[in-house]
Amino acid sequence: MQYLFVVLLAMNLFTSTLFAVDARLKIEKDVEQRVRIALVDGSTDQSSKVFNIFLSDLKISGHFLADTVHHQGDVSSNMLPPTLKSQEYVLRYSLNQQSGTELNVRLLKSSDGTQLFKKSYSIPTTDKMPFLIHKAISDINDMMQYPDISWITRYVVYAVYSAPGLSEIRLADYTFNYKKTIIRGGLNLFPKWADKDQRSLYYTSYKGTVPALYKLNIYNGSKEEIVSSDGMLVCSDVNSNGTKLLLTMAPEGQADIYEYNLGSRSKTRVTDFKGIDVNGKYVDDENSIVFISNRLGYANVFKKSIHSPATSQVVYHGRNNNACDAHGGKIVYSSRESNNAFGGNTFNLYLTSSGSSDTRPLTTTGTNQFPRFSSDGSTVLFLKQSGRSSSIGYINLTSQQSLLFPFNDRKIQSIDW
Amino acid sequence: MTQKLLIAGTVLSLLLSGCGQNAPELDGKNNITDGSDIGGDTVSIDENGGGYGSGGSMGNYNSSSDGFRSVYFGFGDYTISPNMESNMNTNVKVGSSASAKIKIEGNCDEFGTDEYNYALGLKRAKAVKDSLAAQGVSSSKMVLVSFGESSPVCTEPSDTCYDRNRRVDLRLVK
Repeated sequence: MQYLFVVLLAMNLFTSTLFAVDARLKIEKDVEQRVRIALVDGSTDQSSKVFNIFLSDLKISGHFLADTVHHQGDVSSNMLPPTLKSQEYVLRYSLNQQSGTELNVRLLKSSDGTQLFKKSYSIPTTDKMPFLIHKAISDINDMMQYPDISWITRYVVYAVYSAPGLSEIRLADYTFNYKKTIIRGGLNLFPKWADKDQRSLYYTSYKGTVPALYKLNIYNGSKEEIVSSDGMLVCSDVNSNGTKLLLTMAPEGQADIYEYNLGSRSKTRVTDFKGIDVNGKYVDDENSIVFISNRLGYANVFKKSIHSPATSQVVYHGRNNNACDAHGGKIVYSSRESNNAFGGNTFNLYLTSSGSSDTRPLTTTGTNQFPRFSSDGSTVLFLKQSGRSSSIGYINLTSQQSLLFPFNDRKIQSIDW
Repeated sequence: MTQKLLIAGTVLSLLLSGCGQNAPELDGKNNITDGSDIGGDTVSIDENGGGYGSGGSMGNYNSSSDGFRSVYFGFGDYTISPNMESNMNTNVKVGSSASAKIKIEGNCDEFGTDEYNYALGLKRAKAVKDSLAAQGVSSSKMVLVSFGESSPVCTEPSDTCYDRNRRVDLRLVK
């Protein structure tokens, strides 16, 4: 009878954990569902910066509960100190930057010291060190057969204003520990990745009399002009196989959204409104778009089929919803929730979908703008401003884990990853 | 009793196996060197020498030139207000006699984001173009460009400064 009671109690605990929690309202993934892991640094020159990058990767994955103590110990040792026995796994690493960057990682099982994973990574430079760590954690995550987090190995590309009439386009890793300016001089804006492999990007150049869209290979520097337009020209989205673009352009002085076919070099007008239509993003099966329009007198999110005129409103709250992004059926948008003409406005991010009216807030304080989905749609990047400080934020939509990284750069014009 | 124990043990083990996230044991199978996926070095391009527009010093880009007068707008607005009538009259006069193309540049204050602010700047530029066209300036010799919030003439955090940035500048294409 005693054993039956234990069984019933266990079943009750199990079902209450599984079914009683509303996933949409869950603030943080249950601690019990993440595996406990400790980091042991065996580097000759131990660095808190390196340790913190490891911690960030483990945290944003949503799959690991990392010990925040910076332990030290030989990377090749199989001995585990008693203090680490409470962890399920121990990740030993050493990072050497005397000539290029070399990273060695070993994942051990705490209970018996079994080695589960061992790998060495090396590159000839030192500045891209964060990418080695991101790759290692992504590989370990894969080995553990957890949902993919390879987005942490991708570049973020962004444009900043450097002076009136001047801008720079930069690359960064997702933590912004790595940063590199790839285009400087003149006014070059709206960078957008051209392919899944991040080998090329589109950007708008103001070098000529009217704006022109260029495609740049970031590895060999080859560049071609795609199209130019009076007024304004922005590549807002690229379809999944890279053959079509959603452009905001104004060939007749009126900003509308066009679908541009790269193969035939032809464009199809998708929106036709005398106000403002911008920020087109492919949604669902790429036969529809969501976009920002002021057709109700203020900026808001709308949805439209590319090949038919029917347009529907997506968002029914907010004073000014002037930016959005989409991935599959998911839509994220920023909404102004105060009405100050100059500064001090609260902007929050919301997640909704093209197929339902369910909406949930992703942020609750500060000014949160430039929402962008990761390549797999699992995570949202955004720029957060609180007072005088700026941060780049990430929200893992599955685990609800969030991270903020200080953003000590100039004013962001646009961002993509 | 033994049967109960067996049932209890089986149910518990099923429950526990459903909750865990055990990693497969792959001891010794991953001892390889791999930095290739990090990618090679990327380019760094200097686009100096062009700048936006058709040349000239930076100062010339932040206000109207060639006899034109800048037109200023209210917050979030793209209609020409009555107090801009004098400036527009000047622009009609200069524009009507211009032999070169007229570049009409829309600008915004810093309180907008991303594409929407560039579209707002364009609406301002188009309002000026439409007004000039209505007063006889040929549409074919006007070209529109929106600079969004990228080209402020003033960077102080004050209402006066923001007012000066919500503007349309006009100049001849040279």
